[in-house]
Amino acid sequence: MRWRWWRLGCGGAFLGPPAIFTLPVVFPLVMALGGVLGILGVPLPGVEIGIAVSAAVLGMMVALAARPPIWIAAVIVGAFAICHGHAHGTELPPGSDAVAYSAGFVIATGVLHLCGIAFGLLSRWPTGRITVRAAGGGIALAGLLFLGRLL
Amino acid sequence: MTPFVAGLLHPLVVPAHLLAIAALALLIGQQGWRRSVPIAYVVAVLIGLGAIALAYVPKFTEETLLALAAIGGLLVALARPLPQGLGMPLAAAIGLSLALDSPPEALVLMQANLTLLGTALGAALLLLALLQGTTRLRHHWQRIGARIFGSWIAASAILVLALRFVR
Repeated sequence: MRWRWWRLGCGGAFLGPPAIFTLPVVFPLVMALGGVLGILGVPLPGVEIGIAVSAAVLGMMVALAARPPIWIAAVIVGAFAICHGHAHGTELPPGSDAVAYSAGFVIATGVLHLCGIAFGLLSRWPTGRITVRAAGGGIALAGLLFLGRLL
Repeated sequence: MTPFVAGLLHPLVVPAHLLAIAALALLIGQQGWRRSVPIAYVVAVLIGLGAIALAYVPKFTEETLLALAAIGGLLVALARPLPQGLGMPLAAAIGLSLALDSPPEALVLMQANLTLLGTALGAALLLLALLQGTTRLRHHWQRIGARIFGSWIAASAILVLALRFVR
């Protein structure tokens, strides 16, 4: 599941400013909201499907070099962040340390964003742009395969 | 480890304390608030530790501190201009909660007082040290980095709070 966060940073970098700055700020907060819903046991139908669709849609956005308005990107990423957070909140192992789990969860997300942004910044160069778009295509494909297994 | 050193390191090793102090340092640096805000924090730490020395031990201090860390982190992430009048009570609330959440484990009075003294110094020094960095964030990318960091702090604090209330 973690590689999807890398894809998010990658997508943010591909969208350029201000998305490259806005998405990493929005995502942890909305993900935490989803995490709280999961921890509280609030059911959210279709979480796994939402995660698979997130991979496919964002991967395709990178592959097609789509540049939607920032608010659309933020809404899409926010919706996906809820699914990711909810899945992790639900899967919290019993007896685990709350602070360590939460800190690790958020730090891992942030570091993967940074890795994705760093990779996405390759799109400044023509060859890098092709590489990033190809990676987006691969991610979209993986997301579709994951979706196919769920349906 | 001596009681003084244990107290000195206390704000550094307790995640909730570190989150709250980091959020406050980022907020002060981002807003460009003057000295009165960190001073309010230090005075509140001293008042709180004084209350602990007088055997006042309130409940839910860590939860309060986490909620304040979440608020601080959210304000950093939003990056909207805020009046200094808001910064002072927020800093005081963080300082007071942090101090009240630091009761010494030592049973001997002298050792307990040394631990409290170390905690006061540690809490003040940690904020001052972080301010040395956060007040120098001038470049655009540095300010964005601060917002992202604030967002992480808020997210961590919110998740820990949720887990605390469920268990």
